[in-house]
Amino acid sequence: MDREAFEHRLAVLFSIVGVLFAVLAIRLWQVQVVQGDHFSRLSEENRLRVTSVAAPRGLIVDRLGRPLVSNRPAFTVALLPMEFARPQQEIPLIARLLGIEPAEVAQRLADGQDRSFEPIRLRRDVPKPVVEAIEESRMDLPGILVDVEPVRDYVYQDLAAHLIGYLGEVTVADVRRPASGYEPGELIGKDGVELAYDRYLRGQDGEIQAEVDAMGRPSRTLRMVPAAAGDTVVLGIDLGVQQAAEAALGDRVGAVVAMDPATGVIEAFASHPTFNPNLFAAGIPAPAWSALLRDPRQPLIDRVTQAGYPTGSVFKIVTASAALQLGVVTGDSQFYDPGYYTLGGRIFHDNANESFGHLSFVNAIAVSSNVVFWTISRSVGPEHLAEYARMYGLGRRTGIDLPGETAGTIPDPAWKRRVLGQPWYAGDTLNMAVGQGYVLVTPMQAARMIAAVANGGTLVTPHAVVEVRSSAGQVLSTFAPPPAGGVQLSAQTLAVLRAGLTAVVTRGTAASIQIPGLAVAGKTGTAESPRGKPYAWFAGYAPADAPKLVVVAMVENAGYGAEFAGPIVQRVLEAAFGIAPAEPPAGDPKP
Amino acid sequence: MSAVGTAAAANPVSTPRSRTWRLIRNLDWTLVGATAILVAAGLVMVYSTTRSGAHPFAFVQNQLLHLAAGVLVGAALIAVDYRSIAAASRWLYVVNLVMLAAVLVVGRTALGAQRWIPLGPLGQFQPSEFAKLVIVITLAKHLADRPGPYRSLSDLLPFLGHVAVPMFLIFRQPDLGTALVYCAIFAGMLYAGGARRRDLAALGAGALVLGPVLWHVLKEYQRRRLLVFLDPSLDPLGSGYGLIQSKIAVGSGMMWGKGLFVGTQNVLQFVPEHHTDFIFSVVGEELGFLGALLLLGLFLVWLWRGIATASSARDRFGALAAVGIVSMVAFHVFVNVGMTVGIMPITGIPLPFISFGGSALMTMLWATALLLNIGMRRQKILF
Repeated sequence: MDREAFEHRLAVLFSIVGVLFAVLAIRLWQVQVVQGDHFSRLSEENRLRVTSVAAPRGLIVDRLGRPLVSNRPAFTVALLPMEFARPQQEIPLIARLLGIEPAEVAQRLADGQDRSFEPIRLRRDVPKPVVEAIEESRMDLPGILVDVEPVRDYVYQDLAAHLIGYLGEVTVADVRRPASGYEPGELIGKDGVELAYDRYLRGQDGEIQAEVDAMGRPSRTLRMVPAAAGDTVVLGIDLGVQQAAEAALGDRVGAVVAMDPATGVIEAFASHPTFNPNLFAAGIPAPAWSALLRDPRQPLIDRVTQAGYPTGSVFKIVTASAALQLGVVTGDSQFYDPGYYTLGGRIFHDNANESFGHLSFVNAIAVSSNVVFWTISRSVGPEHLAEYARMYGLGRRTGIDLPGETAGTIPDPAWKRRVLGQPWYAGDTLNMAVGQGYVLVTPMQAARMIAAVANGGTLVTPHAVVEVRSSAGQVLSTFAPPPAGGVQLSAQTLAVLRAGLTAVVTRGTAASIQIPGLAVAGKTGTAESPRGKPYAWFAGYAPADAPKLVVVAMVENAGYGAEFAGPIVQRVLEAAFGIAPAEPPAGDPKP
Repeated sequence: MSAVGTAAAANPVSTPRSRTWRLIRNLDWTLVGATAILVAAGLVMVYSTTRSGAHPFAFVQNQLLHLAAGVLVGAALIAVDYRSIAAASRWLYVVNLVMLAAVLVVGRTALGAQRWIPLGPLGQFQPSEFAKLVIVITLAKHLADRPGPYRSLSDLLPFLGHVAVPMFLIFRQPDLGTALVYCAIFAGMLYAGGARRRDLAALGAGALVLGPVLWHVLKEYQRRRLLVFLDPSLDPLGSGYGLIQSKIAVGSGMMWGKGLFVGTQNVLQFVPEHHTDFIFSVVGEELGFLGALLLLGLFLVWLWRGIATASSARDRFGALAAVGIVSMVAFHVFVNVGMTVGIMPITGIPLPFISFGGSALMTMLWATALLLNIGMRRQKILF
């Protein structure tokens, strides 16, 4: 190839480049000069905006699929920092319309400044008249958006509030956590099932990509990615049993829990005083929140799993198990109960200071003779008491699928030395044997303990949620956590324990709660409180020969377990087994 | 550009010192100037597109780091006689293939494609960018070693094979845009190298026939981009979103632009990849039609100097390498700018010297260095 031909071809190549650049120049002229006004308008006025569409949170339903928590549409008012041109005028106006502090609006505006094209929610669940007032002031509020968003609806108000939990606005720390997937302003589960199962419930937010006009109103929707609703969480709760438990507990401070002794599925879960999660559904106003926090009765505490109490005689299940397994007693062992017990010159009186006279060990369980249990505890010793208590799962968390569970306390000499710096006295053993002193047990732990007696020694893992289904109803996962261990109980021991617990109801302390057609077994407890009246306990199960349900009731500072807790368990069992109450429940318990 | 006499004729007593002076005198200062202005404009635009956020200078600093490395290595590339670079062609070709294969094995995935090799604190390294320049050098050497005349299509097949192997590896990443850059380099160099028009046309026709086959090799997102290019209304806010937003940004710049650093489409992050592939849409928005023309004019000056370098090169290797570099840059500019104004499909090709991206910037600087090297050592062409 000669030089001339090469030069020619170079000229052709450069001409091609020239033509291509001319094409670009012409196209730029077309886009920027000819159509410039059009695109300029699109850019200035008809902004394309991507708004996220909050996914409806998954439903929470009871075991029969009845919705306990759903969603309802509500108005959300948000502001778009980018179009918020005159904050001095707009902030006071919108704050007044929404009934919030101007400082709060200013704070939210400042927080969202680095993402000025994303709307910031100011208030959820805005009443219709307020929305109308905003629409009327639309000309003065170009940066304000009104959206319809689902708001959480707790259908039965405060029903099972501690188990279900509540929502709250995601914290800055949560948003910043890598891969959290949370957006600022989003509501997430803060407690209970709402928190523990948040990742199932939250769903997948959608997107609307729309052109909006100068007023900030969407003028044309270009694309919509629908939000994917969260999954449905199926609870083990039975609405009827739950309502019965709450009604039976009434206004008293305490807790009721009902559980399947074979599986650990929670069927009722009540803690009083309670709160209404609907208050939180749209972001709780600060005054309401601080009122809840300051309430001396601590309504936010879940008394089923988050508070430990002395159990009183319910603990005798542990003492009896240890004594029977260690061969200290048999069911037929005979005792004499004079109504008091002497230890080193000190006299311990039984609750009522009454003498039960001669009685077998089974009957000692039935009448809850402290003297008999004090007697045997001396042979069993504190280490063995603590060992059996721990085998029954006391002193450690049950592993329930709810946040914030407490472990309670099971003392032993080493514990006392470590924590209190004191030696263990023989009197401590007597106290422990009857569930007093340093013993602290949650109602949930008590339920699991008696469930172990009912099911032959297995320590089930309690759980509130049995299943997660897609919003279309397809089962996605089933929850059946494995047992957390067990108690080694011989057949004889089990037989004596069950005979004793059955006798409690047939002829013992809780004879008043018999249910026609349903054999109930259980144990009362009346635990002395450092303040006020004793804690009343009843932990029971039914049917006595083939247990299907364990129920534990605990009432703070009420009095005798048989009198204040027993009837609650009775009501719950009646509801669960579909038995009409023999007589209308007494309005006020007898003194 | 008139050819300057040989060193021997100008200065019979040739000393290393006088040779260095002659070389510096021969340096194409117009090309140096155009490059410097383009790079400076690039830094300003990268700052403009990445300044929002906690570290407004983070991207610019990164770009400056690569600029420094590019200039240092570029200076070394100028100092060495380009003929010794040509002599290393075989090694370059092999190393290039190894690196491209390495990307497929250890590469980092981004936007559905494996293009980067992570290099720890040094950032990421994108071999397909350097591969473009390497292929220019090795193909030029190949064409110089096999000068023709090319009397039939089969005479071109060795060159086709030469380009096809690395191109296949890049296609596998998959990086459609870079693979197309290879086509442009190949066509430009073979045309300038003396291939018959009808043979090149036959190869083009063959590529078209191969198209439907390649369609199945493309990743889903690439097919979608191509389809959306043909009909943006297919998906106004999916793949078409970038296209429409880019056009809105460019168009809203109008004649004079909104002014540097005051573009809104950019800050609002409407335009995707606005600091890399779509940086021209910000140029259009902030500097307007006149600014965009000015930038295109700079590129045209740069390309003119490239053609002039080819024209005055002392040998066939130098001339064809210069043509390859011109083809590469011209194709980049046309496809990239065309993409932002909706006349080219979205293929992920950066705007030379302007787009954020260290590997691309260094490659372009080294390509410039090679052009300067060839131009500096010009003599009568010995074909």
